[in-house]
Amino acid sequence: MSRGMLRKVTAALIIAVATAMMVGCERPEIHRDRFIAFGTIVELNIYTADRELARTAAETVQADLDYMHGAWHAWEPGAMGRTNQLLATGMEFSANPSVLPLIIEAQRLSEATEGLFNPALGQLFALWGFQSDAPQGPPPADEEIQAILDQDPTMDDVHIDGIRMRSSNTAVRLDLGAYAKGYGLHQAMEHLKELGVEHAILNAGGDLRAIGRPGNRPWRIGVRSPEAQGVIAAIETQGDEAVFTSGDYERFFMHEGERYHHILDPRTGHPARGTRSVTVIHQDAAKADVASTALFIAGADDWPRIAARLGIEKVMLIDDAGVVYMTPAMEKRVRFESEPKEQIITPLPDDSLETASVSPPA
Amino acid sequence: MITRADALVILLACGLVAGTYAWLWSPGAPATQVRVISGNEEVARLPLDEAQQLEITGPAGITVVEIADGAARCAASPGTQGICQSAGWLKRAGDMAVSLPNRVIIEVLGDETEFDSMNY
Repeated sequence: MSRGMLRKVTAALIIAVATAMMVGCERPEIHRDRFIAFGTIVELNIYTADRELARTAAETVQADLDYMHGAWHAWEPGAMGRTNQLLATGMEFSANPSVLPLIIEAQRLSEATEGLFNPALGQLFALWGFQSDAPQGPPPADEEIQAILDQDPTMDDVHIDGIRMRSSNTAVRLDLGAYAKGYGLHQAMEHLKELGVEHAILNAGGDLRAIGRPGNRPWRIGVRSPEAQGVIAAIETQGDEAVFTSGDYERFFMHEGERYHHILDPRTGHPARGTRSVTVIHQDAAKADVASTALFIAGADDWPRIAARLGIEKVMLIDDAGVVYMTPAMEKRVRFESEPKEQIITPLPDDSLETASVSPPA
Repeated sequence: MITRADALVILLACGLVAGTYAWLWSPGAPATQVRVISGNEEVARLPLDEAQQLEITGPAGITVVEIADGAARCAASPGTQGICQSAGWLKRAGDMAVSLPNRVIIEVLGDETEFDSMNY
Protein backbone atom coordinates (compact mmCIF):
# COMPACT_ATOMS: atom_id res chain seq x y z
CA MET A 1 0.00 0.00 0.00
CA SER A 2 1.38 3.39 -0.99
CA ARG A 3 1.93 6.10 1.63
CA GLY A 4 -0.81 8.27 0.13
CA MET A 5 -3.30 5.44 0.14
CA LEU A 6 -2.40 4.61 3.77
CA ARG A 7 -3.16 8.21 4.80
CA LYS A 8 -6.53 8.11 3.06
CA VAL A 9 -7.51 4.84 4.67
CA THR A 10 -6.45 6.15 8.10
CA ALA A 11 -8.48 9.31 7.63
CA ALA A 12 -11.52 7.32 6.53
CA LEU A 13 -11.20 5.09 9.60
CA ILE A 14 -10.96 8.11 11.93
CA ILE A 15 -14.09 9.58 10.37
CA ALA A 16 -15.95 6.28 10.66
CA VAL A 17 -15.01 5.88 14.33
CA ALA A 18 -15.88 9.52 15.14
CA THR A 19 -19.24 9.14 13.41
CA ALA A 20 -19.96 5.93 15.29
CA MET A 21 -19.11 7.65 18.57
CA MET A 22 -21.41 10.59 17.80
CA VAL A 23 -24.25 8.27 16.96
CA GLY A 24 -23.60 6.08 20.01
CA CYS A 25 -23.47 8.97 22.52
CA GLU A 26 -26.71 10.34 23.85
CA ARG A 27 -26.82 14.10 23.49
CA PRO A 28 -27.92 16.18 26.48
CA GLU A 29 -31.57 17.12 26.35
CA ILE A 30 -34.33 18.35 28.62
CA HIS A 31 -36.18 15.46 30.25
CA ARG A 32 -39.59 16.63 31.45
CA ASP A 33 -41.77 14.77 33.93
CA ARG A 34 -45.10 15.86 35.30
CA PHE A 35 -46.87 14.21 38.19
CA ILE A 36 -49.15 15.00 41.09
CA ALA A 37 -47.44 15.32 44.47
CA PHE A 38 -47.50 17.69 47.44
CA GLY A 39 -51.18 18.18 46.68
CA THR A 40 -50.43 19.89 43.37
CA ILE A 41 -49.04 19.42 39.87
CA VAL A 42 -45.27 18.99 39.92
CA GLU A 43 -43.04 19.45 36.89
CA LEU A 44 -39.41 18.39 36.80
CA ASN A 45 -37.13 19.47 33.94
CA ILE A 46 -33.67 17.95 33.95
CA TYR A 47 -31.03 18.75 31.33
CA THR A 48 -28.76 15.75 31.01
CA ALA A 49 -27.50 13.11 28.62
CA ASP A 50 -28.14 10.47 31.27
CA ARG A 51 -31.65 9.11 30.70
CA GLU A 52 -31.39 6.81 33.71
CA LEU A 53 -30.44 9.71 35.99
CA ALA A 54 -33.48 11.65 34.80
CA ARG A 55 -35.76 8.70 35.54
CA THR A 56 -34.26 8.06 38.98
CA ALA A 57 -34.42 11.75 39.82
CA ALA A 58 -38.12 11.98 38.95
CA GLU A 59 -38.93 8.98 41.13
CA THR A 60 -36.84 10.39 43.98
CA VAL A 61 -38.49 13.81 43.84
CA GLN A 62 -41.94 12.27 43.78
CA ALA A 63 -41.16 10.13 46.82
CA ASP A 64 -39.58 13.06 48.67
CA LEU A 65 -42.51 15.39 48.03
CA ASP A 66 -45.09 12.75 48.93
CA TYR A 67 -43.30 12.11 52.21
CA MET A 68 -43.01 15.80 53.03
CA HIS A 69 -46.64 16.46 52.13
CA GLY A 70 -47.80 13.71 54.45
CA ALA A 71 -45.51 14.79 57.29
CA TRP A 72 -46.19 18.52 57.06
CA HIS A 73 -49.89 18.64 56.25
CA ALA A 74 -51.67 20.44 59.07
CA TRP A 75 -54.92 18.52 58.79
CA GLU A 76 -53.85 14.98 57.98
CA PRO A 77 -52.68 12.38 60.48
CA GLY A 78 -48.97 12.98 59.97
CA ALA A 79 -46.25 14.55 62.11
CA MET A 80 -47.65 18.09 61.79
CA GLY A 81 -51.18 16.93 62.48
CA ARG A 82 -49.96 15.20 65.64
CA THR A 83 -47.96 18.30 66.62
CA ASN A 84 -51.12 20.39 66.33
CA GLN A 85 -52.99 17.99 68.59
CA LEU A 86 -50.25 18.28 71.21
CA LEU A 87 -49.98 22.07 70.92
CA ALA A 88 -53.71 22.30 71.61
CA THR A 89 -53.20 20.62 74.99
CA GLY A 90 -50.82 23.33 76.23
CA MET A 91 -48.61 20.57 77.63
CA GLU A 92 -44.91 20.18 76.89
CA PHE A 93 -43.94 17.41 74.46
CA SER A 94 -41.01 16.17 72.36
CA ALA A 95 -41.30 17.59 68.87
CA ASN A 96 -41.10 15.31 65.87
CA PRO A 97 -37.73 15.87 64.16
CA SER A 98 -39.39 15.96 60.75
CA VAL A 99 -41.27 19.15 61.61
CA LEU A 100 -39.07 20.85 64.22
CA PRO A 101 -36.69 22.64 61.78
CA LEU A 102 -39.68 23.95 59.80
CA ILE A 103 -41.33 25.36 62.88
CA ILE A 104 -38.15 27.03 64.12
CA GLU A 105 -37.58 28.62 60.71
CA ALA A 106 -41.23 29.62 60.46
CA GLN A 107 -40.92 31.47 63.76
CA ARG A 108 -38.01 33.52 62.44
CA LEU A 109 -39.79 34.31 59.20
CA SER A 110 -43.02 35.24 60.98
CA GLU A 111 -41.10 37.77 63.05
CA ALA A 112 -39.31 39.15 59.98
CA THR A 113 -42.66 39.73 58.24
CA GLU A 114 -44.07 41.53 61.29
CA GLY A 115 -46.58 38.71 61.64
CA LEU A 116 -48.03 39.01 58.11
CA PHE A 117 -46.87 35.42 57.68
CA ASN A 118 -48.63 33.83 60.62
CA PRO A 119 -48.83 30.04 60.29
CA ALA A 120 -50.23 29.81 63.84
CA LEU A 121 -53.61 30.84 62.40
CA GLY A 122 -54.35 27.37 61.08
CA GLN A 123 -57.85 27.51 62.53
CA LEU A 124 -58.61 30.56 60.38
CA PHE A 125 -57.47 28.81 57.17
CA ALA A 126 -59.62 25.82 58.07
CA LEU A 127 -62.62 28.05 58.88
CA TRP A 128 -62.46 29.45 55.34
CA GLY A 129 -62.06 25.93 53.92
CA PHE A 130 -58.77 26.71 52.20
CA GLN A 131 -57.10 23.61 53.59
CA SER A 132 -59.08 21.54 51.07
CA ASP A 133 -58.21 21.00 47.41
CA ALA A 134 -61.49 22.55 46.31
CA PRO A 135 -62.68 25.30 48.66
CA GLN A 136 -66.38 25.78 48.24
CA GLY A 137 -67.45 28.75 50.35
CA PRO A 138 -69.56 30.49 51.46
CA PRO A 139 -67.33 32.79 53.54
CA PRO A 140 -67.58 32.21 57.29
CA ALA A 141 -69.53 34.55 59.56
CA ASP A 142 -67.66 37.59 60.88
CA GLU A 143 -68.31 36.44 64.46
CA GLU A 144 -66.52 33.15 63.80
CA ILE A 145 -63.54 34.95 62.29
CA GLN A 146 -63.37 37.44 65.15
CA ALA A 147 -63.54 34.65 67.72
CA ILE A 148 -60.28 33.22 66.33
CA LEU A 149 -58.59 36.62 65.99
CA ASP A 150 -59.51 37.47 69.59
CA GLN A 151 -57.47 34.49 70.77
CA ASP A 152 -54.51 36.00 68.87
CA PRO A 153 -52.50 32.84 68.09
CA THR A 154 -48.98 33.72 66.90
CA MET A 155 -45.67 31.94 66.48
CA ASP A 156 -44.47 33.66 69.66
CA ASP A 157 -46.88 31.39 71.53
CA VAL A 158 -44.85 28.35 70.50
CA HIS A 159 -42.02 27.79 72.96
CA ILE A 160 -39.15 25.55 71.92
CA ASP A 161 -36.32 24.36 74.13
CA GLY A 162 -34.15 21.87 72.33
CA ILE A 163 -36.61 19.27 71.12
CA ARG A 164 -39.20 20.13 73.78
CA MET A 165 -42.14 22.20 72.62
CA ARG A 166 -45.33 23.62 74.05
CA SER A 167 -47.85 26.31 73.24
CA SER A 168 -48.91 28.99 75.70
CA ASN A 169 -51.99 29.60 73.54
CA THR A 170 -54.22 26.60 72.92
CA ALA A 171 -55.68 28.34 69.85
CA VAL A 172 -52.42 27.77 67.97
CA ARG A 173 -52.82 25.44 64.97
CA LEU A 174 -49.84 25.37 62.65
CA ASP A 175 -50.58 25.46 58.92
CA LEU A 176 -47.36 25.93 57.00
CA GLY A 177 -49.06 26.07 53.62
CA ALA A 178 -47.42 29.38 52.73
CA TYR A 179 -43.98 28.05 53.52
CA ALA A 180 -43.78 24.25 53.32
CA LYS A 181 -43.78 24.13 49.53
CA GLY A 182 -40.75 26.40 49.35
CA TYR A 183 -38.98 24.45 52.06
CA GLY A 184 -39.89 21.20 50.32
CA LEU A 185 -38.64 22.38 46.92
CA HIS A 186 -35.37 23.41 48.53
CA GLN A 187 -34.91 20.02 50.18
CA ALA A 188 -35.95 18.05 47.09
CA MET A 189 -33.55 19.98 44.87
CA GLU A 190 -30.73 19.43 47.35
CA HIS A 191 -31.45 15.71 47.07
CA LEU A 192 -31.33 15.93 43.27
CA LYS A 193 -27.95 17.64 43.46
CA GLU A 194 -26.69 14.81 45.66
CA LEU A 195 -27.81 12.38 42.94
CA GLY A 196 -25.66 14.25 40.43
CA VAL A 197 -28.25 16.51 38.81
CA GLU A 198 -26.64 19.80 37.80
CA HIS A 199 -29.22 21.49 35.58
CA ALA A 200 -32.89 21.34 36.53
CA ILE A 201 -36.12 23.15 37.28
CA LEU A 202 -38.42 21.76 39.94
CA ASN A 203 -41.85 23.39 39.73
CA ALA A 204 -44.62 22.64 42.22
CA GLY A 205 -47.94 24.32 41.55
CA GLY A 206 -46.32 27.17 39.64
CA ASP A 207 -43.53 27.94 42.11
CA LEU A 208 -40.07 26.75 41.24
CA ARG A 209 -36.42 26.41 42.02
CA ALA A 210 -33.90 26.24 39.18
CA ILE A 211 -30.25 25.20 39.10
CA GLY A 212 -27.71 25.35 36.30
CA ARG A 213 -28.74 25.94 32.68
CA PRO A 214 -29.86 23.81 29.73
CA GLY A 215 -26.76 24.00 27.52
CA ASN A 216 -25.56 27.43 26.45
CA ARG A 217 -28.68 29.37 27.44
CA PRO A 218 -30.45 30.12 30.73
CA TRP A 219 -33.70 28.51 31.87
CA ARG A 220 -36.61 30.58 30.56
CA ILE A 221 -39.55 31.14 32.92
CA GLY A 222 -42.91 32.59 31.91
CA VAL A 223 -44.76 34.52 34.63
CA ARG A 224 -48.49 34.12 34.25
CA SER A 225 -50.61 37.25 33.98
CA PRO A 226 -53.04 37.66 36.90
CA GLU A 227 -55.60 38.98 34.41
CA ALA A 228 -55.75 36.03 32.03
CA GLN A 229 -54.16 32.75 31.01
CA GLY A 230 -51.38 34.54 29.11
CA VAL A 231 -47.84 35.41 30.13
CA ILE A 232 -47.12 38.86 31.49
CA ALA A 233 -43.36 38.58 31.74
CA ALA A 234 -40.36 36.40 31.11
CA ILE A 235 -37.53 35.75 33.53
CA GLU A 236 -34.23 34.05 32.77
CA THR A 237 -32.79 32.35 35.80
CA GLN A 238 -29.20 32.92 36.92
CA GLY A 239 -27.65 29.90 38.58
CA ASP A 240 -29.43 28.61 41.67
CA GLU A 241 -32.63 30.61 42.11
CA ALA A 242 -36.22 30.24 43.22
CA VAL A 243 -39.11 32.08 41.55
CA PHE A 244 -42.30 32.24 43.60
CA THR A 245 -45.59 33.98 42.88
CA SER A 246 -48.63 34.41 45.10
CA GLY A 247 -51.78 35.39 43.26
CA ASP A 248 -55.45 35.82 44.04
CA TYR A 249 -56.30 33.53 41.10
CA GLU A 250 -54.62 30.42 42.50
CA ARG A 251 -57.13 29.08 45.01
CA PHE A 252 -60.45 30.77 45.55
CA PHE A 253 -64.19 30.44 45.54
CA MET A 254 -66.88 32.75 44.23
CA HIS A 255 -69.79 33.82 46.41
CA GLU A 256 -72.49 36.24 45.29
CA GLY A 257 -70.23 37.54 42.55
CA GLU A 258 -67.24 38.17 44.79
CA ARG A 259 -63.95 36.30 44.67
CA TYR A 260 -62.64 35.01 48.00
CA HIS A 261 -59.03 33.91 47.60
CA HIS A 262 -56.79 31.94 49.93
CA ILE A 263 -54.26 34.60 50.99
CA LEU A 264 -55.72 35.66 54.31
CA ASP A 265 -54.67 38.85 56.07
CA PRO A 266 -54.01 37.87 59.72
CA ARG A 267 -54.98 41.39 60.82
CA THR A 268 -58.52 41.18 59.40
CA GLY A 269 -59.11 37.46 59.05
CA HIS A 270 -60.32 38.07 55.48
CA PRO A 271 -58.63 37.67 52.08
CA ALA A 272 -56.06 40.42 51.57
CA ARG A 273 -57.33 43.08 49.17
CA GLY A 274 -55.64 45.48 46.80
CA THR A 275 -53.05 43.07 45.33
CA ARG A 276 -53.41 40.70 42.38
CA SER A 277 -50.02 39.02 42.51
CA VAL A 278 -46.51 39.19 43.91
CA THR A 279 -43.48 37.57 42.26
CA VAL A 280 -40.21 37.12 44.12
CA ILE A 281 -36.80 35.86 42.98
CA HIS A 282 -34.44 34.66 45.69
CA GLN A 283 -31.86 31.95 46.15
CA ASP A 284 -33.73 30.48 49.13
CA ALA A 285 -37.01 28.89 48.02
CA ALA A 286 -38.48 28.76 51.54
CA LYS A 287 -37.92 32.45 52.10
CA ALA A 288 -39.22 33.26 48.60
CA ASP A 289 -42.40 31.31 49.41
CA VAL A 290 -43.03 33.22 52.63
CA ALA A 291 -42.07 36.55 51.05
CA SER A 292 -44.50 36.25 48.14
CA THR A 293 -47.37 35.67 50.59
CA ALA A 294 -46.33 38.32 53.12
CA LEU A 295 -45.69 40.97 50.46
CA PHE A 296 -49.07 40.22 48.88
CA ILE A 297 -50.70 40.94 52.25
CA ALA A 298 -48.48 43.99 52.88
CA GLY A 299 -49.81 45.56 49.68
CA ALA A 300 -48.57 48.46 47.58
CA ASP A 301 -47.75 50.72 50.54
CA ASP A 302 -45.88 48.42 52.87
CA TRP A 303 -44.19 45.79 50.70
CA PRO A 304 -40.81 47.60 50.42
CA ARG A 305 -40.37 47.65 54.18
CA ILE A 306 -41.21 43.97 54.62
CA ALA A 307 -39.08 42.97 51.62
CA ALA A 308 -36.12 44.82 53.11
CA ARG A 309 -36.63 43.14 56.47
CA LEU A 310 -36.59 39.76 54.74
CA GLY A 311 -33.57 40.65 52.61
CA ILE A 312 -35.55 40.10 49.39
CA GLU A 313 -34.23 42.39 46.66
CA LYS A 314 -36.16 41.16 43.61
CA VAL A 315 -39.89 41.83 43.92
CA MET A 316 -42.70 42.54 41.47
CA LEU A 317 -46.16 43.42 42.83
CA ILE A 318 -49.20 43.94 40.61
CA ASP A 319 -52.08 45.75 42.29
CA ASP A 320 -55.76 45.40 41.53
CA ALA A 321 -55.60 48.39 39.16
CA GLY A 322 -52.93 46.65 37.06
CA VAL A 323 -50.10 48.90 38.25
CA VAL A 324 -46.76 47.09 38.42
CA TYR A 325 -44.41 47.91 41.31
CA MET A 326 -40.85 46.61 41.10
CA THR A 327 -37.53 46.91 42.84
CA PRO A 328 -34.67 48.13 40.63
CA ALA A 329 -33.07 44.68 40.92
CA MET A 330 -36.27 43.03 39.65
CA GLU A 331 -36.61 45.50 36.79
CA LYS A 332 -33.27 44.28 35.44
CA ARG A 333 -34.51 40.67 35.42
CA VAL A 334 -38.01 41.01 33.94
CA ARG A 335 -38.90 41.29 30.27
CA PHE A 336 -42.57 42.13 29.77
CA GLU A 337 -44.46 40.23 27.09
CA SER A 338 -47.22 42.81 27.20
CA GLU A 339 -46.51 46.30 28.45
CA PRO A 340 -48.22 47.04 31.81
CA LYS A 341 -50.38 50.14 32.05
CA GLU A 342 -48.04 51.69 34.62
CA GLN A 343 -44.72 50.75 36.17
CA ILE A 344 -43.40 52.15 39.43
CA ILE A 345 -39.82 51.35 40.37
CA THR A 346 -39.42 51.40 44.13
CA PRO A 347 -36.03 51.03 45.84
CA LEU A 348 -36.04 49.24 49.16
CA PRO A 349 -35.37 51.29 52.28
CA ASP A 350 -31.65 50.93 53.02
CA ASP A 351 -31.79 51.22 56.77
CA SER A 352 -33.83 48.06 57.28
CA LEU A 353 -32.11 45.75 54.79
CA GLU A 354 -31.39 42.37 56.32
CA THR A 355 -32.43 43.49 59.78
CA ALA A 356 -33.91 40.07 60.27
CA SER A 357 -31.32 37.36 60.28
CA VAL A 358 -33.06 34.48 58.56
CA SER A 359 -30.89 31.62 57.44
CA PRO A 360 -31.71 29.27 54.57
CA PRO A 361 -32.96 25.83 55.51
CA ALA A 362 -30.29 23.29 56.29
CA MET B 1 2.24 18.27 1.18
CA ILE B 2 -1.55 17.84 0.76
CA THR B 3 -2.51 15.98 -2.38
CA ARG B 4 -5.84 16.24 -4.20
CA ALA B 5 -6.86 12.97 -2.63
CA ASP B 6 -6.11 14.39 0.85
CA ALA B 7 -8.18 17.46 0.11
CA LEU B 8 -11.04 15.28 -1.10
CA VAL B 9 -10.94 13.21 2.11
CA ILE B 10 -10.91 16.38 4.26
CA LEU B 11 -13.84 17.80 2.27
CA LEU B 12 -15.80 14.58 2.65
CA ALA B 13 -14.98 14.50 6.35
CA CYS B 14 -16.24 18.06 6.84
CA GLY B 15 -19.39 17.25 4.91
CA LEU B 16 -19.97 14.12 6.94
CA VAL B 17 -19.51 15.95 10.23
CA ALA B 18 -21.83 18.77 9.12
CA GLY B 19 -24.43 16.29 7.91
CA THR B 20 -24.26 14.28 11.11
CA TYR B 21 -24.56 17.47 13.19
CA ALA B 22 -27.62 18.56 11.28
CA TRP B 23 -29.14 15.09 11.58
CA LEU B 24 -28.54 14.77 15.30
CA TRP B 25 -28.87 18.34 16.56
CA SER B 26 -31.53 20.06 14.49
CA PRO B 27 -34.60 21.27 16.43
CA GLY B 28 -37.63 19.02 16.43
CA ALA B 29 -41.03 19.37 14.84
CA PRO B 30 -43.84 21.44 16.36
CA ALA B 31 -46.28 19.97 18.90
CA THR B 32 -48.23 17.05 17.52
CA GLN B 33 -49.21 14.90 20.48
CA VAL B 34 -51.22 14.89 23.63
CA ARG B 35 -50.14 12.86 26.64
CA VAL B 36 -52.58 11.80 29.33
CA ILE B 37 -51.31 10.86 32.79
CA SER B 38 -53.58 9.19 35.33
CA GLY B 39 -52.38 8.36 38.81
CA ASN B 40 -48.86 9.33 37.72
CA GLU B 41 -48.86 6.69 34.95
CA GLU B 42 -48.98 7.59 31.28
CA VAL B 43 -52.20 6.04 29.98
CA ALA B 44 -52.36 7.55 26.49
CA ARG B 45 -50.18 9.37 23.97
CA LEU B 46 -52.18 10.34 20.92
CA PRO B 47 -51.66 12.43 17.77
CA LEU B 48 -53.46 15.76 17.68
CA ASP B 49 -54.46 15.40 14.02
CA GLU B 50 -56.96 12.57 14.64
CA ALA B 51 -60.23 13.71 16.18
CA GLN B 52 -61.27 11.43 18.99
CA GLN B 53 -62.49 11.30 22.53
CA LEU B 54 -61.37 9.15 25.42
CA GLU B 55 -62.54 8.61 28.95
CA ILE B 56 -60.10 8.31 31.83
CA THR B 57 -61.36 6.75 35.01
CA GLY B 58 -59.79 8.17 38.17
CA PRO B 59 -60.51 8.08 41.89
CA ALA B 60 -63.16 10.84 41.63
CA GLY B 61 -64.88 9.69 38.44
CA ILE B 62 -64.40 10.07 34.69
CA THR B 63 -62.35 12.73 32.93
CA VAL B 64 -63.18 13.15 29.25
CA VAL B 65 -60.35 14.16 26.90
CA GLU B 66 -61.35 15.50 23.48
CA ILE B 67 -58.99 15.87 20.52
CA ALA B 68 -59.99 17.98 17.52
CA ASP B 69 -58.45 20.39 15.03
CA GLY B 70 -54.89 19.90 16.23
CA ALA B 71 -55.70 20.59 19.87
CA ALA B 72 -56.87 18.74 22.96
CA ARG B 73 -59.04 19.72 25.89
CA CYS B 74 -60.49 18.48 29.13
CA ALA B 75 -64.14 18.24 28.04
CA ALA B 76 -65.49 16.98 31.36
CA SER B 77 -64.10 16.12 34.77
CA PRO B 78 -65.54 15.47 38.23
CA GLY B 79 -63.92 18.52 39.95
CA THR B 80 -66.61 20.81 41.36
CA GLN B 81 -65.04 24.04 40.14
CA GLY B 82 -64.39 23.03 36.52
CA ILE B 83 -60.70 23.93 36.80
CA CYS B 84 -59.67 21.17 34.39
CA GLN B 85 -62.17 22.33 31.74
CA SER B 86 -61.29 26.01 32.25
CA ALA B 87 -57.84 25.41 30.75
CA GLY B 88 -59.65 25.37 27.38
CA TRP B 89 -58.14 24.00 24.19
CA LEU B 90 -54.49 23.05 24.58
CA LYS B 91 -52.63 24.08 21.43
CA ARG B 92 -49.13 25.21 22.27
CA ALA B 93 -46.50 22.74 23.39
CA GLY B 94 -46.40 22.76 27.16
CA ASP B 95 -50.08 23.68 27.62
CA MET B 96 -51.83 21.47 30.13
CA ALA B 97 -55.06 20.83 31.98
CA VAL B 98 -55.13 19.16 35.37
CA SER B 99 -57.80 17.49 37.45
CA LEU B 100 -56.36 17.22 40.95
CA PRO B 101 -59.35 15.36 42.42
CA ASN B 102 -59.19 12.79 39.63
CA ARG B 103 -55.36 12.86 39.47
CA VAL B 104 -55.36 13.36 35.70
CA ILE B 105 -52.87 15.48 33.73
CA ILE B 106 -53.50 16.31 30.07
CA GLU B 107 -50.55 17.95 28.33
CA VAL B 108 -49.69 18.86 24.77
CA LEU B 109 -46.22 17.76 23.76
CA GLY B 110 -43.74 19.43 21.47
CA ASP B 111 -40.01 19.92 21.18
CA GLU B 112 -40.09 23.68 20.97
CA THR B 113 -41.61 25.67 23.82
CA GLU B 114 -41.14 29.35 24.46
CA PHE B 115 -40.67 28.78 28.18
CA ASP B 116 -39.08 25.94 30.09
CA SER B 117 -41.48 26.38 33.00
CA MET B 118 -44.42 28.54 34.03
CA ASN B 119 -44.58 30.56 37.24
CA TYR B 120 -47.99 31.44 38.69
